[in-house]
Order: sequence, then C-alpha cells, then structure tokens
Amino acid sequence: MNFSFTDDQVLLKNSVRAALDEQCKSSHVRSMIEDGKGYSDALWGEMAKLGWLGLPFPEEQGGAGLGLVELCLVLDELGRAAYPGPYFASVVLGGLGLMLGGSAAQKEKWLSAIAAGQARASAALLEDSLDWAPATTTATATRAGDGWSLSGVKRFVPWAHVADVVLVPARSPEGLSLFLVDPKQAGVTLKPMVGIDLANRWSQMRLDGARVAADALVGQPGTAEPVLESLLRRAAVCASAEMLGAARRCLDMSVSYVKVREQFGQVIGSFQAIRHRCAEMLLEVENAHSAVYYAAWALEAGAEDAAVAASICKSYVSDAARKVCGDAIQVHGGIGFTWEYDLHLYMKRAKALEPLYGDAEFHRELIVRHVAA
Amino acid sequence: MDLNYTPEDVAYRKQVRAWLEENLPREEVRTLDDRRRWHRKLYEAGYLGMGWPKEVGGAGARPMEQAIVADEMARVNAPAPTNGLGLGIVGPTIVVHGTDAQKQRYLKKILTAEELWCQLYSEPNAGSDLAALKTSAVDAGDHFVVNGQKIWTSSGAVADWGLLLARTDTKVAKHKGISCFLMNMRQPGVDVRPLKQITGSSEFCEVFMTNARVEKADQIGKLGEGWAIAQTTLGYERGGRALARVTSYQSQHHRLVAAARRLKRHGKALIDDPLVRQKLGRIWADLEVERYGALRTLTMLERGEHPGAGGSLTKLSYSELEKRFMDLAMEILGPYGQLTDGAPEEFRLEIDTAVGDRGTWAYAYLWSRAGTIYAGSSEIQKNVIGERILGLPKETRADRPGAAR
Repeated sequence: MNFSFTDDQVLLKNSVRAALDEQCKSSHVRSMIEDGKGYSDALWGEMAKLGWLGLPFPEEQGGAGLGLVELCLVLDELGRAAYPGPYFASVVLGGLGLMLGGSAAQKEKWLSAIAAGQARASAALLEDSLDWAPATTTATATRAGDGWSLSGVKRFVPWAHVADVVLVPARSPEGLSLFLVDPKQAGVTLKPMVGIDLANRWSQMRLDGARVAADALVGQPGTAEPVLESLLRRAAVCASAEMLGAARRCLDMSVSYVKVREQFGQVIGSFQAIRHRCAEMLLEVENAHSAVYYAAWALEAGAEDAAVAASICKSYVSDAARKVCGDAIQVHGGIGFTWEYDLHLYMKRAKALEPLYGDAEFHRELIVRHVAA
Repeated sequence: MDLNYTPEDVAYRKQVRAWLEENLPREEVRTLDDRRRWHRKLYEAGYLGMGWPKEVGGAGARPMEQAIVADEMARVNAPAPTNGLGLGIVGPTIVVHGTDAQKQRYLKKILTAEELWCQLYSEPNAGSDLAALKTSAVDAGDHFVVNGQKIWTSSGAVADWGLLLARTDTKVAKHKGISCFLMNMRQPGVDVRPLKQITGSSEFCEVFMTNARVEKADQIGKLGEGWAIAQTTLGYERGGRALARVTSYQSQHHRLVAAARRLKRHGKALIDDPLVRQKLGRIWADLEVERYGALRTLTMLERGEHPGAGGSLTKLSYSELEKRFMDLAMEILGPYGQLTDGAPEEFRLEIDTAVGDRGTWAYAYLWSRAGTIYAGSSEIQKNVIGERILGLPKETRADRPGAAR
C-alpha cells in the first residue's frame, strides 16, 4: 500500500506545472476568452509535443500508455491554470470514450489523430432533462440505407464548435447505441451556449435526421449503456481533478492575499475569523485530493470499489470545491468580486464542472444504492 | 501509487483475524479485572505497544501492522485494552524522553497493565491555553512538592501513576517554565474525584494535589522542557487508529441503514426517502474519504515520516465528521436514538465505552460532542493549521504583547 506519487508522476506534475506557468498565465486565459475559437493552436501543438494529448492512449496509437492517475495529475494542473481549450473534451470524453467502446479501426483513426493534435473530439452526454443516467437518452437512431439517421437535441456539448468528431448516444431499435458524428456534417446544427466560465465552451447540438455511415457505430447496436456508464465514471473523476486544481489555486491565492492585506493595522490573516476559514479550505482541498487520487487509482486498477469510489469522489469534490472557491471570494473581500482580479477565472472553472458528469446529489444516490444494496 | 495491500500485509491481516476469532472474549467484558485479563491476552499475542522498540518489551512492528490490528479489532467490535493513556501517551513519552532507569521501571508494567496510567495536563483555567497551567512543582532537595488541581483526567479513578505537567519556574515565559514528571497517584497528597459528564458516566476525574511528592528520579527530560515534551506526546495519539475508527463508524452506518429500512414516515420506509438517502450517502462518502486520508497518513508513517501539524487536519476532519454522523443517527432513529435503556434490538448500538459500560446510540451521540474539544479543540486545530501549515501570522494576544509576528 503506497498512497504517494512515484518519481515519474512527480516529474510529470512538475513539468506540466512549469509549462502552464509559462504558457497559460491568466493573461492567456483572458485573451482566449475574447478569442472567437477560444483556444490557442500554438499551445495545443505544444501539448501534443509534450505527449499530454495522448497521455492515456496505448502506445500503438501514438499515446503514452499512462493511466488515470497521471491523467488526473495533468487535469489537476489544467484546472489550476483554468486552461482554455478542448483538452477534457478531446482526451477524456472523446479519447477515453473511444478507448472504452471503439473498434480497432476507430481507435486507429481517431486516437492517433487526437494524440498528434490533429483532431479534436467530444461527447454529447446530456439532453434537455439534464439526467446523466445513460439509460434516459431520448435521441433516436434509425437505419437508413447502409448507415443510420440520427435525431434529437443534445445540450452542453463541450467544444463541439472545434471538434472533428463527437460521440453521440442515441436509441436504436436494439436499445442504447453510440455513434461518431462530425459536428460540421449535414443535418447537424450547433448553437453556442455561453456559461459563466468563458474559458470553457459549450454548444447545443441539434440532429435532424443526420446521416452517418455504418462504420460510425461504436460497438454493437444496443450495447452502449455500460460503455457510457464507464465513461461517465471516468469523466466524473477527471472533472473532479480539474475542480481540485481550481480549488487549490483559489486557496493559494487566498493565503497569499491574507498575508499582505492589512485592516485595523494588522494583516487580516492574523485574525482567527480569516485563519479558521483558510484552515477549513485546506482541509477540504486535502480531502478532495484523497478522493480524486483514490478514485483514479481504483478505476485504473479495476478495484472492487472503483464505481462507488468515483461517485464518492465527484460528490465530495463538488461540495468541497464550491466551499473553497466561495470562501476564497469571501476572504478576499471586494477585490475578489472584481473582473480584473483573476480569482473568478478559477472559481468559475470549478463551478462550471460542479453539475457536470453527475452532480453531488446524483452521485450520492449511487453511493446509497451501493451501501444499501 | 499502489493502494493494494502487499501480500505480507494481507497474510498478516488473516493471521490477526484468525487470532481474534480464537481469542475474542466469549462473555461480556464488564469489570476492570475482565478487561485486564483481555489486555494481558492481547499483550501476550504481541498486539500491544506494537510500535515500541523490542528492547523495552514492544514488538517493533511497522505502522501498517499496528493499523491492521486496530482495524481487525474494530471489525469484530473487540473490547479495547485497558491503560489506553499508558499505551498511547505515557509509554511513547518514556520511550522517547525517558532515562534508561525510567524505561526499566515503568514500560513493562504499562504493557502488562500491572500499573494503570492517567495524564495530568488540563486545569480549570488552563484548557485550550494549556501553557497557562498553575500547578506547581517546587524543588525540596531530594524530591519535588506538587500543589494544584487538574481536571479532565481520563482514567484518574483507577490510575496508579500520572504523567504530570507542572510549573517549575514562574519567572520565565509561560511555555518555558513547565516541566514533566511521573507522579504516584497512590499517595495521601493526591485526591481523585470522578467528574460526571453529560453522558451520565465518569470517564474523567478531577485531581487535587496537596503537597504531593514526586521523586527526582521521576522527572522526564530537563526542567523547563515540559511544554516541548507535551507537544510531541499529543502527536502520538494521531494516525495509527484512523483506519480502525472508520471501520467502526462504517459498521454503525450499516446499522443505521438497517434501522432506516424499518422506520417509516408518511407510510414510507425512511430508506426510500430521497432526503434520508442523500444524508446517508453523504456520511458514507465522508467516511470513505476519511479512510483514504488514513491510507495517506499510513504511507507517511511507513516511510518513517511524521505527519506533524498534518495531524491537526486529521483530527479536525474526523472529530467534526463524528458529530455530523451522530446528528444524522439521531435524526433517523428519532426517539429510539435517545434511549439509554429499553430500545428494541434493531435500534440498539452495542459499542464498548471507555469505562467498560455498554454504549448506546444516545451515549455515542453525547460522546461525539467531546471529540471536538479534547486533545485540542477544533478552534485550536484550525489555529495550528493556519500557523504551521499555511504560514499565517499569529494574532496579537494579551499574553504576548505586540506579538503580531
């Protein structure tokens, strides 16, 4: 039993931190907020070169063959930097989705391209009802010639406007199925959905009888549910890692600030009202760290409690990040409420992820089903 | 990072489990003598003082082995050994700070529970501000004369010996004038009175010392080092029992779930009420996160690192969680939760209390209020975390003029 990072993992974390400190400063985040596309090709190319884009993919497909712990280490740092771009969408949603369910040919085509930075991917997991349970999908897939015709409305599809391929769950006569859809193809309309985290982009994706070829089907018809549940668990833990990084950044900024901000002739960090709040924030960050890396390890190792660990992780971290980022604004006072000050960039990253891939209540219900089974 | 237990640890756990199946007392442990017998059995099996060096009678066991033994005991709800403070605080203090003669004289008898120990730290006017303690130890040539009053002394009523903090110098800063002693409790100058708590039980005592005698040979460390020694002993309490604590709470959680299947609101079982489900799910998640944290601490201990101020995070986390858990238990159990007697079997909690009585949910609920006060209140832990981990400045205090450093 060893709950500490290996030397290689520490090395990876440090190199990601160093690269982002250099290339993803808050000024970069702010410039991407103003950018039409929303992310930098230069940084994307750099991430490909550093091997981050194929980090969890097999080496045969241009990946680094690393696991979820390493992927979470990268996402932890990306959250800390409020990285603007389709990393999560491509590598986690698209990449892991294909790894879990894709055919050899699909993996060969897409994983290598994602790893090389040549393609971007995403997944359309949410519909109007906002129910994360894959079984509730209502979009439909009907046979059309050799291929399929897809209809339905998907909400909150991350970075669909720059994606080359989107994983789309739809209900075929056989049951829940999964398809690869080009968001730029005929029959697909995207409409931007602009949230508070402007460094993150979503689209509504409308499918009006969008025609896809037979080889766009992922796995066999009617077999998508376990793949999607598995993907949802991974996405929940990966999103938690990103929230953890954002929360850590908010804590670090708060601690630095209260050491220099003076009121009543003293630095405010000397007041117990402030100090105790900071101590509570640290406790939540440390517990969130335990929850994220335990779950990442459990999923990677196929541990018996992997599924419930993922739910514990997302429910705990959603609440913890909300508290930490909210308290960060509070201890900053007025300056933390200004657009000019950077704190809101990180707070909004955590807030945007809080309801995604199952909110705390969704996952707590799964926990109870496990405990009271 | 590999959170699987090693094959050696798995084998060790199996061995401990088998031993417990064989040796767990068949009858209820009621009297102190019963408990001493059980204690003796644990000692002979090598399950007490596990982390102490072999040359003083310990087992020189790894932190993981200690955690496994505690965890397996929690799994079967085994009675605790007696002499908890002797094993947890006094012994380790003597191991680290004691002379060879003190080690020879005291350690073995702590392990065998031949001599029971208490800890004489808190005073009526020195709680969170422990360094303000006033009990004095005056040098009288060949011994010290001790006068003063202690409170919140666990096991004071049965203790043969006490680990004492007393002031030996009133002219220096308050932290610097405190010394540490071993004091015989069985002497005319020591008067012990049980303190009845809100639980109705008396785990704690008040101790009055009037010209009590402490031998020169029973001074621990140098004069004036008492505060520093006490700081290290507070740390001994943390870490090793964390896994076991979670295991106990999780078995209690299972009992709560079972109760929630039987109890109803508006004709519907509580376990089918989404609100109750959310609350049960939250506490289970909190308990698991506590377990993950325990694994992190164990990783450090196994590598020979000390969690230091990190122990304050652990203590803050579990003691606050314990209160939330017991609040939920009371909410689910309704008036059954408040019964100290007469509860139907399925709404009972059978736990071992510190004084050997059978515990109830009501007792556990009331007792949960103690955890965020003893051994440094939550507020004190947050100060420690703020100052020693986050590096925040100390506040200006009346006893530390102009001290905003």
